[in-house]
Amino acid sequence: MSAEATSDLPPEAYAAALASMPSIGPARLRRLLAADPPRLAYTRANEGSDNAVAAVQRAWRRQTELGIQVVLAGQPSYPARLADDPQAPAVLFCLGDPAVLSERPTAALVGTRAPTRYGIGVAAQFGADLAAAGVSVVSGLALGIDGAAHEGACGAGAPPIAVVAGGLDHVYPRRHERLWERVASTGVIVSESPAGVPTEKWRFPVRNRLLAALSDVIVVVESRHLGGSRHTVDAAMDRGVPVGAVPGSIRSATSEGTNALLADGAFPACCSGDVLLALALGGAAVTVPPQTAAGRPGPATMVAGDPAPDPGRDRPVYDALSADPAPLDELVRLTGLDLAELCGGLERLAQAGLARDAGGWWERT
Amino acid sequence: MGRREQSGSERRLSPPLASLVRPFTCVLASVASATLSGALGRPVSVEVHVSNGLPGFTIVGLPDAAVREARDRVRAAVLSSGLAWPLRRVTVNLAPSGVRKGGAGLDLPIAVGLLVATGELPPGCTEGLAFCGELGLNGSLRHVPGMIALADATAPLGLVVPLGDVREAALVSGEEVRGAATLRDLTQALRGQAGWPEPPPSSAAPAAAGLSDLADVRGQALGRRALEVAAAGRHHLLMIGPPGSGKTMLAERLAGLLPPLTAEEALAVTRIHSAAGCALPEGALLDRPPFRAPHHQASIVSLVGGGSWSLRPGEVSLATNGILFLDELGEFPVAALEALRQPLEEGVIRVSRAGGTVTFPAAFLLVAAMNPCPCGEGVYEGSCRCSVATRARYRRRISAPLLDRFDLVVPLSRPDPDELLSGTPGEPSHLVARRVAAARVAATARSDEREFAPDAAELLASKLRAGGLSARGLQKVTRVARTVAALADAEVVSFAHASEALSLRAGRAVVAA
Repeated sequence: MSAEATSDLPPEAYAAALASMPSIGPARLRRLLAADPPRLAYTRANEGSDNAVAAVQRAWRRQTELGIQVVLAGQPSYPARLADDPQAPAVLFCLGDPAVLSERPTAALVGTRAPTRYGIGVAAQFGADLAAAGVSVVSGLALGIDGAAHEGACGAGAPPIAVVAGGLDHVYPRRHERLWERVASTGVIVSESPAGVPTEKWRFPVRNRLLAALSDVIVVVESRHLGGSRHTVDAAMDRGVPVGAVPGSIRSATSEGTNALLADGAFPACCSGDVLLALALGGAAVTVPPQTAAGRPGPATMVAGDPAPDPGRDRPVYDALSADPAPLDELVRLTGLDLAELCGGLERLAQAGLARDAGGWWERT
Repeated sequence: MGRREQSGSERRLSPPLASLVRPFTCVLASVASATLSGALGRPVSVEVHVSNGLPGFTIVGLPDAAVREARDRVRAAVLSSGLAWPLRRVTVNLAPSGVRKGGAGLDLPIAVGLLVATGELPPGCTEGLAFCGELGLNGSLRHVPGMIALADATAPLGLVVPLGDVREAALVSGEEVRGAATLRDLTQALRGQAGWPEPPPSSAAPAAAGLSDLADVRGQALGRRALEVAAAGRHHLLMIGPPGSGKTMLAERLAGLLPPLTAEEALAVTRIHSAAGCALPEGALLDRPPFRAPHHQASIVSLVGGGSWSLRPGEVSLATNGILFLDELGEFPVAALEALRQPLEEGVIRVSRAGGTVTFPAAFLLVAAMNPCPCGEGVYEGSCRCSVATRARYRRRISAPLLDRFDLVVPLSRPDPDELLSGTPGEPSHLVARRVAAARVAATARSDEREFAPDAAELLASKLRAGGLSARGLQKVTRVARTVAALADAEVVSFAHASEALSLRAGRAVVAA
């Protein structure tokens, strides 16, 4: 390979090639790039290798083909939040606008991949409210809570930020392909891995660390005991990022982790206003549009605002229902009605918007 | 058939010439019998040829191993019965020779043909009779499977069978069945020296004793109701619930809710059980709907039927006119579940092998039970510990077309502990069975379809519009709602009936991917 062919490759190309090497993890990459400029660091790491230059071109083509921006530590577009971070990534790969990472206050919404509908609802509502208040919602694009938070945040206001583990050429999880595109087009998707690197297991804790470093506050919406959110919370506490948790039922396994966090001193996030307060944005500075607040009443506003619902002749059925879904057997026992009458009552309540079918179980709306 | 021919050349020749020929050079006897192919009998003519030559015994005409071994059984049985064995050349032909013959049921006709050919039995004594039975070395006559099908195939001839099989064969052949306990009894009866032995009297038929009763089930309003609706409308039922929610207990009690079989159904059920070699009750006729519960490790062949060429009926056919219960549906091999789709659709199963194609009846009521996910806790939101991928993999095992065959998909939950310990016993089976029988009568009498009340029709229409119901789903809910109305003896399908029908398939949300 001639010298002219390689001379037009920018330093980002060498950094990407260095990051693509299987033997180099984030810590080693940071050390190498702190010691030498990318081109020199890459040449040193590849001494004796014949096709080293071809590998650089290949790595660079991969990033540019997909429109991935490579941001090196120290460059102006490198997020200021990471400047003082002890484990700051030496290279960031971004799909979308990297400026989003520094523009606004950020709040991470994280949690289990197998949430309840309660968790999904809260995550989506917080996502929408925070985005509308001008806060960029940070999440991991995983199934469950992460996805729900971004679903709520996309297009609701401030641009969303997604932090993923693998290379940006590879949508993971596949199910979030459309959400992935929406986040990339309205906000930014960040990764420490260059395109071409598969999503390996060890990269998730690394991703969680970056996610914590990019956030001003972290809210765990739903989490099992010792769930994956633990890494994020630990990383946040190391960095002094405030951690909040959404309280849940003591009977729900998916709230074990969040309730334990509350017991450990995390601030309770009972509405999106609590998250804004933790961001020191205060109640007055917050511009949550009124229709959003009314359209999605948070737990705090629900009791006060609504008039008591009138279930009419289905009052006994309504009284037997609660916010927790209950099986029909239990409702038969509580109401003493036969199954047909009970089901009829439930369907009438559903038509009036007072009850909801949750996979054969029923709950109040 | 049933003719005894003596082509002894000495008969045809004139007396002076006959004296030049050694007697019994060549004797032929032909006896009617039948062999089993799948669940059907095929008539077989057993020809025995005894001629001069080196002593030997050959069987030709596509015999299987069991038939070839008849040589040794027949010889021992004849000698044990104190009858003469010819020291001559014996050839047995099983005609038609192109059809494979299996099983030991041809022992008896071979022995009888041989005895006729050797002159131990008078010529013509087998006229109008067919023989089926296995021989023991001591000359006893033993049971052969598929006696009903064999009797079908030998009709209108009289049939001689082992004494224990008389009742079974008599289900189709009536008075024309005779039995014998040993070869010696048989020869004496055929010679006219003794009468045919009477079959042992059957003890009083045990009245549906083994059936479990619904009264044992506490709580479980939804599960009990699902059984009732399934029994009344012949709706296939899938129960989804965590371990310990009583899925198996409920399924076992469904048989007690079905009305007894009609004479025609009972004969069809008995015929297929007989062909499969299942033990039949004392009175030989199975008059209760069968309940078959194959294990999830059962092979596909054992489920749908087959075999290299013997083409035995499988569990789906044994469950015909009754219940096929598949516990742990998610653990069955996917191929086995997909093989159920034809019988569910058409009520029969066609088994094709190199040796031929057989159609078995398979009109069963499918009842299945499964956990919502591998850990079993999936119905309780938030308590499932399976990963998303594990759950998705588990759900993929039940294909959408198979799930669509279930009219009723009910989510079960563990019963309330208080209700379990101190609750009053549930409604006993015989009361529910009475309602089921009445609903079935009402449904057949009212072949025109029950009308839907306006609000009920509107409820289903709104579900259809909201996308919560597919066109096929609507058809299923409509059928179930009519059954619910029939159980309530109502003229029209009310809002409550339609709501209940919707609830009885709400479990789809738990397993539909």
